[in-house]
Amino acid sequence: METDDWESCPSDMSDNESCLQDKDASELDNYTSASQHKLQFRSDVSVARWINKMGMAEVMEKKGRLWTTTGIVRSGKTYCFIEETLFLAEIGALHLLDDNDTRLSLRDIYKKVAEEKSGCCWERFEVYRHLKSLGYIIRWHSVPWSIKTPKGDNLNNETVYVQSTPEGNGVMGIDSKDKSFNVELFSSMQINEVRPVFDVFLPNSKFKKSSPGDPSFVLCLTSGYPQSKAEVEIIERRCGSIPLKFCHVEHGRVSFFSIDRVELPVLP
Amino acid sequence: MEPRWKGKGSEAKALADPMSKLVAQLQSSLIQTNMCGLLSGCSVLVAVETEHVDLFSRSCFGRPIVTAEKDKHWFQLGMEEAFYLCHFLKCLKIVGEDNCPKDDGELWHYMKSRKATFPAFYKAYSHLRKKNWVVRSGLQYGVDFIDYRHHPSLVHSEYAVLVLLEGDDDTNGRLRL
Repeated sequence: METDDWESCPSDMSDNESCLQDKDASELDNYTSASQHKLQFRSDVSVARWINKMGMAEVMEKKGRLWTTTGIVRSGKTYCFIEETLFLAEIGALHLLDDNDTRLSLRDIYKKVAEEKSGCCWERFEVYRHLKSLGYIIRWHSVPWSIKTPKGDNLNNETVYVQSTPEGNGVMGIDSKDKSFNVELFSSMQINEVRPVFDVFLPNSKFKKSSPGDPSFVLCLTSGYPQSKAEVEIIERRCGSIPLKFCHVEHGRVSFFSIDRVELPVLP
Repeated sequence: MEPRWKGKGSEAKALADPMSKLVAQLQSSLIQTNMCGLLSGCSVLVAVETEHVDLFSRSCFGRPIVTAEKDKHWFQLGMEEAFYLCHFLKCLKIVGEDNCPKDDGELWHYMKSRKATFPAFYKAYSHLRKKNWVVRSGLQYGVDFIDYRHHPSLVHSEYAVLVLLEGDDDTNGRLRL
């Protein structure tokens, strides 16, 4: 009856940041001693520096293959959202530095999530962590994996920022050419209860940020109550042919569901 | 219905260490170490020294967070259990990202803003906890809480709890019984 709430990752996963196995602590832990879940030991640790005004971390040293599926590339540099940063720090794959090159502790990074800037929140982090641990590849909804600046262009034209909208949702804006893209993001923020947060790609050892293909589904984070049909339809239209899924986080558990259209056949 | 203990010796273990004792041990240990939790979203995160990890597990507060940190073990508390530890057992301080401890009023207001049903849920949680039942999330079972006579590894749950407010209308979309 008591089931695992995390699945162990498939054995053919080549990306070494996944493979967390966690069982529900209350049901399966030995009563006499809390079981210590082990993470794989890492000798090669990447380094990133937190850029406060961006609300993101700039990766300074990359180690391992995890960077093929983490972070966004802008003009040759890689940046991570706070959730990506925290996930990697939690598993020991990343050291985060501040402006003075002082290493930030896990507590410091948890505090950044607690600040809830730019639409980040603990629950969104839990969703990110859950999917990432299962091997899925996660893109912030509608945020391109990589953008190159053609040579000779003033880099100031391409400002990457994470800002808060009035609803408190985070928006990754590209303050340059792609105006239509900006409009898309802002208009989607009008739905208060439900918003697409992630584009989720299937695990793929050959994943390329330069040609990611279509995501497997778009994920919306719900507030706890079921979506109205109208809300679902609005988001569905935006996503086009990409399936829509919803997730709900409560007490550390992440649940997924989708609202599908079915046509029941006439039975004999 | 009789409680269904899991395996031989479980009932004896439970009798040897009643839940009231385990909770009291957790309480005194947290007071001694001046434990402080970080409020984040709908959770409170606490960093626990190795020797105190057992106290959390045995008294069934929180869920462990798996991290690479060697000397600290992080636990995640739900709003009801965090408020219970803070307000009733008075063994946990809760701070925001600004490091300022939140008083009970601030916490209550915050938690209520996150979940409108928090007051009723807390009432149910604390009512049952005060009677020394173990109260865990009932999300997996489509209910609000699941009640255990002792640690869930020792005994099967005996009750599923649904929190209903008097005069509750259908605005929250809950199925009426």
